[in-house]
Amino acid sequence: MLVDYELIRRAREGDGPAFNQLVAAYRKRILGTIARLIGRPEDVEDVGQEVFLRLYYSLDQLRSAEVFEPWLYRLTANAAYDYLRKRRRRMESRMADLSEQQVLLADAVASEKVDRDDGQKKRIREAVDALLEKVSEEDRVLLTLKEVEGLSLKELGEIYHVKENALKVRLFRARQRVLKAFTAARKQAPGVSSLR
Amino acid sequence: MDHQSNLAGSDEARLDALFEAYRSACPDPEPGAEFMPQLWQKIEARQSVSAVFGRMARNLMTAALALSTLLGLAATISGSRVSPLPSENYVEVLAEDHDNQNLDFEPVRFAPAVEQP
Repeated sequence: MLVDYELIRRAREGDGPAFNQLVAAYRKRILGTIARLIGRPEDVEDVGQEVFLRLYYSLDQLRSAEVFEPWLYRLTANAAYDYLRKRRRRMESRMADLSEQQVLLADAVASEKVDRDDGQKKRIREAVDALLEKVSEEDRVLLTLKEVEGLSLKELGEIYHVKENALKVRLFRARQRVLKAFTAARKQAPGVSSLR
Repeated sequence: MDHQSNLAGSDEARLDALFEAYRSACPDPEPGAEFMPQLWQKIEARQSVSAVFGRMARNLMTAALALSTLLGLAATISGSRVSPLPSENYVEVLAEDHDNQNLDFEPVRFAPAVEQP
Protein backbone atom coordinates (compact mmCIF):
# COMPACT_ATOMS: atom_id res chain seq x y z
CA MET A 1 0.00 0.00 0.00
CA LEU A 2 1.31 3.45 -0.89
CA VAL A 3 -0.93 5.20 1.66
CA ASP A 4 -2.32 4.40 5.09
CA TYR A 5 -5.89 3.32 5.73
CA GLU A 6 -6.68 6.52 7.61
CA LEU A 7 -6.09 8.60 4.47
CA ILE A 8 -8.44 6.36 2.46
CA ARG A 9 -11.07 6.61 5.22
CA ARG A 10 -10.81 10.42 5.20
CA ALA A 11 -11.03 10.59 1.40
CA ARG A 12 -14.08 8.32 1.56
CA GLU A 13 -15.76 10.79 3.90
CA GLY A 14 -15.34 13.57 1.33
CA ASP A 15 -12.13 15.17 2.58
CA GLY A 16 -10.74 16.97 -0.54
CA PRO A 17 -7.09 17.29 0.59
CA ALA A 18 -7.06 13.60 1.55
CA PHE A 19 -8.35 12.72 -1.92
CA ASN A 20 -5.60 14.89 -3.45
CA GLN A 21 -2.97 13.00 -1.46
CA LEU A 22 -4.46 9.69 -2.53
CA VAL A 23 -4.31 10.69 -6.22
CA ALA A 24 -0.77 12.06 -5.84
CA ALA A 25 0.38 8.76 -4.32
CA TYR A 26 -1.08 6.52 -7.02
CA ARG A 27 -1.26 8.60 -10.20
CA LYS A 28 2.19 7.75 -11.59
CA ARG A 29 1.67 4.03 -11.12
CA ILE A 30 -1.84 4.16 -12.56
CA LEU A 31 -0.76 6.28 -15.54
CA GLY A 32 2.00 3.75 -16.27
CA THR A 33 -0.46 0.87 -16.19
CA ILE A 34 -2.85 2.78 -18.45
CA ALA A 35 -0.02 3.59 -20.88
CA ARG A 36 0.72 -0.11 -21.27
CA LEU A 37 -2.93 -1.10 -21.40
CA ILE A 38 -3.93 1.32 -24.15
CA GLY A 39 -0.62 1.85 -25.97
CA ARG A 40 -1.34 5.52 -26.76
CA PRO A 41 0.73 8.00 -24.70
CA GLU A 42 -1.32 10.95 -25.95
CA ASP A 43 -4.51 9.62 -24.31
CA VAL A 44 -3.02 8.37 -21.03
CA GLU A 45 -3.81 11.45 -18.91
CA ASP A 46 -7.42 11.57 -20.10
CA VAL A 47 -8.00 7.94 -19.18
CA GLY A 48 -6.12 8.48 -15.89
CA GLN A 49 -8.39 11.37 -14.98
CA GLU A 50 -11.39 9.20 -15.81
CA VAL A 51 -10.08 6.55 -13.38
CA PHE A 52 -9.71 9.05 -10.53
CA LEU A 53 -13.03 10.66 -11.39
CA ARG A 54 -14.70 7.25 -11.04
CA LEU A 55 -12.75 6.71 -7.84
CA TYR A 56 -14.05 9.99 -6.41
CA TYR A 57 -17.66 9.05 -7.12
CA SER A 58 -17.37 5.43 -6.01
CA LEU A 59 -15.23 5.73 -2.87
CA ASP A 60 -18.32 5.56 -0.68
CA GLN A 61 -19.01 2.06 -2.08
CA LEU A 62 -15.59 0.77 -0.99
CA ARG A 63 -16.19 -1.95 1.62
CA SER A 64 -12.93 -1.44 3.49
CA ALA A 65 -9.62 0.35 3.06
CA GLU A 66 -7.81 -3.00 2.79
CA VAL A 67 -9.29 -3.67 -0.64
CA PHE A 68 -8.45 -0.21 -1.98
CA GLU A 69 -5.69 -1.26 -4.39
CA PRO A 70 -7.59 -4.07 -6.17
CA TRP A 71 -10.54 -1.64 -6.31
CA LEU A 72 -8.37 1.03 -7.98
CA TYR A 73 -6.93 -1.52 -10.43
CA ARG A 74 -10.43 -2.65 -11.25
CA LEU A 75 -11.43 0.94 -12.04
CA THR A 76 -8.28 1.27 -14.15
CA ALA A 77 -8.98 -1.92 -16.08
CA ASN A 78 -12.58 -0.82 -16.67
CA ALA A 79 -11.60 2.66 -17.88
CA ALA A 80 -8.96 1.20 -20.21
CA TYR A 81 -11.49 -1.32 -21.49
CA ASP A 82 -14.04 1.45 -22.21
CA TYR A 83 -11.38 3.51 -23.99
CA LEU A 84 -10.28 0.53 -26.13
CA ARG A 85 -13.87 -0.26 -27.08
CA LYS A 86 -14.50 3.32 -28.19
CA ARG A 87 -11.25 3.35 -30.11
CA ARG A 88 -12.06 0.06 -31.83
CA ARG A 89 -15.38 1.52 -33.01
CA ARG A 90 -13.50 4.50 -34.44
CA MET A 91 -10.91 2.28 -36.11
CA GLU A 92 -13.23 -0.33 -37.55
CA SER A 93 -12.77 0.97 -41.08
CA ARG A 94 -9.00 0.93 -40.74
CA MET A 95 -6.90 -2.10 -41.50
CA ALA A 96 -6.00 -3.80 -38.26
CA ASP A 97 -3.35 -6.13 -39.62
CA LEU A 98 0.24 -5.70 -38.61
CA SER A 99 2.20 -3.92 -41.30
CA GLU A 100 5.25 -5.65 -42.68
CA GLN A 101 7.44 -3.09 -40.94
CA GLN A 102 5.79 -3.85 -37.60
CA VAL A 103 6.32 -7.57 -38.10
CA LEU A 104 9.96 -7.03 -38.97
CA LEU A 105 10.42 -4.89 -35.91
CA ALA A 106 8.63 -7.33 -33.61
CA ASP A 107 10.84 -10.09 -34.92
CA ALA A 108 14.00 -8.04 -34.53
CA VAL A 109 13.03 -7.06 -30.99
CA ALA A 110 12.51 -10.68 -30.14
CA SER A 111 15.98 -11.42 -31.55
CA GLU A 112 17.43 -8.50 -29.54
CA LYS A 113 18.93 -6.96 -32.67
CA VAL A 114 17.73 -3.40 -32.27
CA ASP A 115 18.79 -0.52 -30.12
CA ARG A 116 15.80 0.81 -28.28
CA ASP A 117 15.90 4.52 -28.92
CA ASP A 118 12.74 6.63 -28.75
CA GLY A 119 11.78 5.89 -32.35
CA GLN A 120 12.19 2.17 -31.82
CA LYS A 121 10.22 2.32 -28.58
CA LYS A 122 7.39 4.01 -30.43
CA ARG A 123 7.43 1.33 -33.09
CA ILE A 124 7.50 -1.42 -30.45
CA ARG A 125 4.40 0.14 -28.90
CA GLU A 126 2.72 0.26 -32.30
CA ALA A 127 3.67 -3.35 -33.08
CA VAL A 128 2.33 -4.68 -29.76
CA ASP A 129 -0.74 -2.47 -30.09
CA ALA A 130 -1.47 -3.92 -33.54
CA LEU A 131 -0.87 -7.44 -32.23
CA LEU A 132 -3.24 -6.95 -29.29
CA GLU A 133 -5.89 -5.62 -31.66
CA LYS A 134 -6.30 -9.26 -32.66
CA VAL A 135 -7.99 -10.18 -29.40
CA SER A 136 -11.03 -8.78 -27.62
CA GLU A 137 -10.67 -5.77 -25.32
CA GLU A 138 -11.34 -8.02 -22.29
CA ASP A 139 -8.55 -10.40 -23.29
CA ARG A 140 -6.23 -7.55 -24.12
CA VAL A 141 -6.62 -5.93 -20.71
CA LEU A 142 -6.30 -9.24 -18.87
CA LEU A 143 -3.27 -10.34 -20.91
CA THR A 144 -1.51 -7.00 -20.46
CA LEU A 145 -2.10 -7.00 -16.71
CA LYS A 146 -0.59 -10.49 -16.50
CA GLU A 147 2.16 -10.50 -19.12
CA VAL A 148 3.29 -6.88 -19.10
CA GLU A 149 2.31 -5.56 -15.66
CA GLY A 150 3.35 -8.84 -14.07
CA LEU A 151 0.34 -9.17 -11.75
CA SER A 152 -0.06 -12.56 -10.13
CA LEU A 153 -3.11 -14.78 -10.57
CA LYS A 154 -4.06 -14.01 -6.96
CA GLU A 155 -3.95 -10.26 -7.61
CA LEU A 156 -5.92 -10.68 -10.84
CA GLY A 157 -8.46 -12.79 -8.97
CA GLU A 158 -8.96 -9.97 -6.45
CA ILE A 159 -9.39 -7.42 -9.26
CA TYR A 160 -11.78 -9.47 -11.35
CA HIS A 161 -13.53 -11.36 -8.53
CA VAL A 162 -12.93 -14.54 -10.51
CA LYS A 163 -11.43 -17.85 -9.38
CA GLU A 164 -7.85 -18.56 -10.36
CA ASN A 165 -8.70 -21.60 -12.47
CA ALA A 166 -11.14 -19.61 -14.60
CA LEU A 167 -8.51 -16.91 -15.03
CA LYS A 168 -5.91 -19.47 -16.08
CA VAL A 169 -8.20 -20.76 -18.82
CA ARG A 170 -8.99 -17.26 -20.09
CA LEU A 171 -5.36 -16.22 -20.04
CA PHE A 172 -4.27 -19.36 -21.87
CA ARG A 173 -6.84 -18.82 -24.60
CA ALA A 174 -6.03 -15.13 -24.99
CA ARG A 175 -2.33 -15.90 -25.21
CA GLN A 176 -2.94 -18.60 -27.80
CA ARG A 177 -4.89 -16.16 -29.95
CA VAL A 178 -2.12 -13.55 -29.75
CA LEU A 179 0.50 -16.18 -30.44
CA LYS A 180 -1.43 -17.39 -33.47
CA ALA A 181 -1.66 -13.84 -34.83
CA PHE A 182 2.05 -13.32 -34.14
CA THR A 183 3.06 -16.53 -35.91
CA ALA A 184 0.74 -15.85 -38.86
CA ALA A 185 2.04 -12.29 -39.27
CA ARG A 186 5.64 -13.49 -39.23
CA LYS A 187 4.92 -16.15 -41.85
CA GLN A 188 3.13 -13.71 -44.13
CA ALA A 189 5.75 -10.98 -44.03
CA PRO A 190 8.47 -11.71 -46.58
CA GLY A 191 11.99 -10.80 -45.56
CA VAL A 192 11.55 -11.56 -41.86
CA SER A 193 14.05 -14.39 -42.09
CA SER A 194 16.68 -11.99 -43.43
CA LEU A 195 16.78 -10.29 -40.04
CA ARG A 196 17.69 -13.42 -38.18
CA MET B 1 6.09 -32.90 -35.02
CA ASP B 2 9.20 -31.98 -33.03
CA HIS B 3 10.03 -29.31 -35.56
CA GLN B 4 6.54 -27.79 -35.19
CA SER B 5 6.66 -27.79 -31.39
CA ASN B 6 10.12 -26.21 -31.58
CA LEU B 7 8.72 -23.46 -33.81
CA ALA B 8 5.81 -22.90 -31.43
CA GLY B 9 8.23 -22.83 -28.53
CA SER B 10 10.43 -20.27 -30.25
CA ASP B 11 7.38 -18.13 -31.02
CA GLU B 12 6.36 -18.33 -27.36
CA ALA B 13 9.80 -17.10 -26.36
CA ARG B 14 9.69 -14.34 -28.98
CA LEU B 15 6.30 -13.21 -27.75
CA ASP B 16 7.61 -13.09 -24.17
CA ALA B 17 10.57 -11.02 -25.35
CA LEU B 18 8.23 -8.69 -27.22
CA PHE B 19 6.08 -8.15 -24.11
CA GLU B 20 9.21 -7.47 -22.09
CA ALA B 21 10.39 -4.93 -24.68
CA TYR B 22 6.94 -3.36 -24.59
CA ARG B 23 7.17 -3.03 -20.81
CA SER B 24 10.40 -1.03 -21.08
CA ALA B 25 9.12 0.94 -24.10
CA CYS B 26 6.22 2.20 -21.95
CA PRO B 27 7.72 3.51 -18.69
CA ASP B 28 5.47 5.15 -16.06
CA PRO B 29 4.89 8.67 -17.43
CA GLU B 30 5.26 11.75 -15.25
CA PRO B 31 1.85 13.38 -14.80
CA GLY B 32 1.57 16.87 -16.31
CA ALA B 33 1.22 19.97 -14.14
CA GLU B 34 -2.41 20.31 -15.24
CA PHE B 35 -3.38 16.80 -14.17
CA MET B 36 -4.89 17.70 -10.79
CA PRO B 37 -6.58 21.00 -11.82
CA GLN B 38 -8.17 19.26 -14.81
CA LEU B 39 -9.29 16.36 -12.63
CA TRP B 40 -11.02 18.74 -10.19
CA GLN B 41 -12.62 20.58 -13.13
CA LYS B 42 -14.07 17.29 -14.32
CA ILE B 43 -15.28 16.40 -10.82
CA GLU B 44 -16.96 19.80 -10.44
CA ALA B 45 -18.44 19.63 -13.96
CA ARG B 46 -20.04 16.28 -13.13
CA GLN B 47 -21.27 17.61 -9.81
CA SER B 48 -22.97 20.56 -11.56
CA VAL B 49 -24.52 18.25 -14.18
CA SER B 50 -25.83 16.06 -11.33
CA ALA B 51 -27.16 19.15 -9.57
CA VAL B 52 -28.98 20.33 -12.72
CA PHE B 53 -30.53 16.89 -13.22
CA GLY B 54 -31.47 16.76 -9.55
CA ARG B 55 -33.20 20.14 -9.78
CA MET B 56 -34.99 19.07 -12.98
CA ALA B 57 -36.13 15.83 -11.34
CA ARG B 58 -37.42 17.72 -8.27
CA ASN B 59 -39.28 20.24 -10.49
CA LEU B 60 -40.80 17.46 -12.56
CA MET B 61 -41.92 15.65 -9.43
CA THR B 62 -43.57 18.79 -8.04
CA ALA B 63 -45.32 19.43 -11.38
CA ALA B 64 -46.53 15.81 -11.57
CA LEU B 65 -47.87 16.00 -8.00
CA ALA B 66 -49.70 19.26 -8.71
CA LEU B 67 -51.15 17.87 -11.94
CA SER B 68 -52.40 14.69 -10.29
CA THR B 69 -54.02 16.74 -7.47
CA LEU B 70 -55.76 18.93 -10.05
CA LEU B 71 -56.93 15.95 -12.05
CA GLY B 72 -58.22 14.31 -8.87
CA LEU B 73 -60.18 17.44 -7.94
CA ALA B 74 -61.60 17.77 -11.45
CA ALA B 75 -62.71 14.13 -11.41
CA THR B 76 -64.42 14.59 -8.01
CA ILE B 77 -66.29 17.72 -9.13
CA SER B 78 -67.44 16.37 -12.49
CA GLY B 79 -68.25 12.98 -10.94
CA SER B 80 -70.92 14.51 -8.69
CA ARG B 81 -72.79 15.89 -11.73
CA VAL B 82 -72.90 12.73 -13.71
CA SER B 83 -75.85 10.35 -13.13
CA PRO B 84 -74.85 7.15 -11.47
CA LEU B 85 -74.22 4.18 -13.60
CA PRO B 86 -77.18 1.80 -14.10
CA SER B 87 -77.18 -0.92 -11.54
CA GLU B 88 -78.95 -3.47 -13.73
CA ASN B 89 -76.96 -5.94 -15.59
CA TYR B 90 -76.98 -6.26 -19.33
CA VAL B 91 -79.67 -8.91 -19.56
CA GLU B 92 -82.06 -6.91 -17.36
CA VAL B 93 -81.56 -3.77 -19.43
CA LEU B 94 -82.16 -5.75 -22.60
CA ALA B 95 -85.34 -7.31 -21.22
CA GLU B 96 -86.69 -3.94 -20.13
CA ASP B 97 -85.96 -2.50 -23.51
CA HIS B 98 -87.75 -5.40 -25.17
CA ASP B 99 -90.92 -4.77 -23.10
CA ASN B 100 -90.97 -1.15 -24.13
CA GLN B 101 -90.91 -1.92 -27.82
CA ASN B 102 -94.09 -0.86 -29.70
CA LEU B 103 -94.92 -3.26 -32.42
CA ASP B 104 -96.98 -1.56 -35.12
CA PHE B 105 -98.21 -4.77 -36.59
CA GLU B 106 -102.03 -5.31 -36.90
CA PRO B 107 -103.22 -8.70 -35.75
CA VAL B 108 -104.00 -10.93 -38.68
CA ARG B 109 -107.74 -11.45 -39.12
CA PHE B 110 -109.27 -14.28 -40.95
CA ALA B 111 -112.76 -13.79 -42.53
CA PRO B 112 -115.11 -16.65 -41.72
CA ALA B 113 -115.66 -18.90 -44.64
CA VAL B 114 -119.05 -18.38 -46.41
CA GLU B 115 -121.02 -21.52 -46.84
CA GLN B 116 -122.17 -22.26 -50.38
CA PRO B 117 -125.82 -23.06 -50.79
